[in-house]
Amino acid sequence: MENILRQKAKELLSSGEVKVVIGYGWNRAKTRTTPVFITDAADTDQLVWNPLCVNNLSVYLTRKFKDIQALGKPAIVAKGCDIRNIAVLISEAQIKREDVYIIGMACQGVVYKQELWQGELKPNIMPTKCHNCDVRDPHLSDFVAGEKADFTPPEEPVGMVFDKIRDLDSKSPSERWAFWVKEFSRCIKCYACRQVCSLCYCERCITEKNMPQWIETSAHPRGNLSWNLIRAMHLTGRCTFCGECERACPVNIPLNLVNQKMIMVVKDAFDFKSGYDEKAHPPMIVFSPDDKENFIK
Amino acid sequence: MNPARLSGRMKTVSMADRTLKKEDLGKLIDSVRAKGGRFVAPALLARQVVFRSVKSAEEVATGYILARNSFKEFLFPQTEVIAEFSMNKDSVGLKGVEVDAPETVVFGARPCEAASLKGLRTLFTWDFVDEFYTKREDKTVVITVGCTSGDEACFCTTVDLSPESTEGADVYLRETEDNGYTVKGLTEKGKKFLDTHDAVFTSGAAKERPLFKPETVPAVDLKRVSERLKDRAHYDDPVWAKLTMKCIGCGACTFVCPTCRCFDITDEGTAFEGERRKNWDSCQYDAFTLHASGHNPREHQPQRWRNRFMCKFNFYPEKFSSKGCVGCGRCIRVCPVRLDITEVMQEFSK
Ligand code: SF4
Ligand code: SF4
Ligand code: SF4
Ligand code: SF4
Ligand code: SF4
Repeated sequence: MENILRQKAKELLSSGEVKVVIGYGWNRAKTRTTPVFITDAADTDQLVWNPLCVNNLSVYLTRKFKDIQALGKPAIVAKGCDIRNIAVLISEAQIKREDVYIIGMACQGVVYKQELWQGELKPNIMPTKCHNCDVRDPHLSDFVAGEKADFTPPEEPVGMVFDKIRDLDSKSPSERWAFWVKEFSRCIKCYACRQVCSLCYCERCITEKNMPQWIETSAHPRGNLSWNLIRAMHLTGRCTFCGECERACPVNIPLNLVNQKMIMVVKDAFDFKSGYDEKAHPPMIVFSPDDKENFIK
Repeated sequence: MNPARLSGRMKTVSMADRTLKKEDLGKLIDSVRAKGGRFVAPALLARQVVFRSVKSAEEVATGYILARNSFKEFLFPQTEVIAEFSMNKDSVGLKGVEVDAPETVVFGARPCEAASLKGLRTLFTWDFVDEFYTKREDKTVVITVGCTSGDEACFCTTVDLSPESTEGADVYLRETEDNGYTVKGLTEKGKKFLDTHDAVFTSGAAKERPLFKPETVPAVDLKRVSERLKDRAHYDDPVWAKLTMKCIGCGACTFVCPTCRCFDITDEGTAFEGERRKNWDSCQYDAFTLHASGHNPREHQPQRWRNRFMCKFNFYPEKFSSKGCVGCGRCIRVCPVRLDITEVMQEFSK
């Protein structure tokens, strides 16, 4: 598959159809993958594909990466779950479908965090998204590398995201509140969760609006709570559960619990799941005159 | 993990003047806390080892390489009140705030991170003495433990430090084969600390575990790095974009870094009453250099990365004659896109 990927990248760059291929390469010690931006057809052998390819590279399609945009039309190496974010970006008019070439990867799953890798992809080191994956055959792609993945997702080990959500749901509101206040108390307001998320693309985040200061920037319990609630609300109905925010959080706040819970709420209320159809708009950002709710009229 | 880089073992020299038995660590914690001090040590929190204030020896982690965060947050907290204000029809009230500086023991720091204190001190006393920092540091005893394990991100030896270095530490410990420590007082503060808690320590010989010494990163020449950074020509070098384009500007690297110390001043409260806070900030954020006019001298992420690198390998050594990077590798471990500062060091050694 790696060879098919490299071959395709080479073709795209040599023909000039794209100017840069955004993909995965090795770090110096070849122990971790890291994003690479290949602009020369001679360098396509740097591209790799393996279960350590965890990053959702779609973040590099957003406006803040000016140096990448300056390179010209990109091709992006994307797993089905990453493509869901690209679909949201298209539906929210952040990119045009024709402005990106999507190399979809038929996928067998990835590790939750690269540090966990010991040479074998076992269910207990995979993220919940992989246990429940329905996009291993990547959608919306211009080209798919690899055979259609006929792989069945492994049984979800106990104690993963859905179990935890069930457990939290069974608690009283005050217990749930206490749980989240405690988890958020560790937040250091680094905003890694925001920066790594391709759907947090606002050029000026509400946390940076300081006249007046809408969200307190201090990492005290009040400020942490307001930030984490805002993040949850701004992603509701849009978040694809790609898990990048939780992976990037340096203090291990279980952001995936928030993300998945909001996904479940939106599914119940609007029968909507983001990232499958690039023409469908997430429910929280559309206004429809024949909405059955009338509070806004 | 690359064992090849970690295999260099160091000689076991004993220079200890006391020993601390494994079972007596609890007594030391009790002894410090009985005098009203706080005992900060690496402990497990949310599935990772971090520095936190502990109450008992059971909480103290063992077998860790180094804590995820640096202990700087106990000297320079993420957020703290530095003044209070109030305003009404006839008057404006401004009130200073007493520095909250409890007697603190930082136990189990690594030799690399302790070396960051010199730079922090110089910065916080540069043209103004920031008592919020100095008063806390004055009351803190830093106890380092020589490393017996490391990982591929460790690179202290590349920046002229090692698991044996004692810069910044008040007391230096070495693990012994029976899970205790040999103890060496280094500074006046450290020696005084040992005397104060003398009853907890024992004497006698103990066999020290060998230290792990990371191999130096190949093809790095710090002199050359600093020379190249001094030359303005590198400023618009396309190599910055090439190496750091993948940076997403999350700032996590600067928050876990023991030497990073940028902060922002912000007012919170209402227009009539509130507090002024000093909060951690990061040069990796786009708003860090955003001017009120809307102009931003560092508009692109690679420019912000250039600043981080310059700060560590040019500004700190040049201006403060101190280390801007101590090679702890935290920034490498925490980076969600695995941007490795040593790869940039290699590039600028050319
Ligand atoms: S969620 Fe699916 S497409 Fe994404 S990494 Fe897991 S198996 Fe692959
Ligand atoms: S899981 Fe996190 S990073 Fe991924 S889309 Fe949702 S909020 Fe963004
Ligand atoms: S990544 Fe984690 S610590 Fe950083 S702002 Fe987000 S929730 Fe807070
Ligand atoms: S720059 Fe990185 S390796 Fe150097 S001191 Fe900071 S966190 Fe440690
Ligand atoms: S942790 Fe990595 S991605 Fe985040 S600001 Fe630092 S170098 Fe950039």
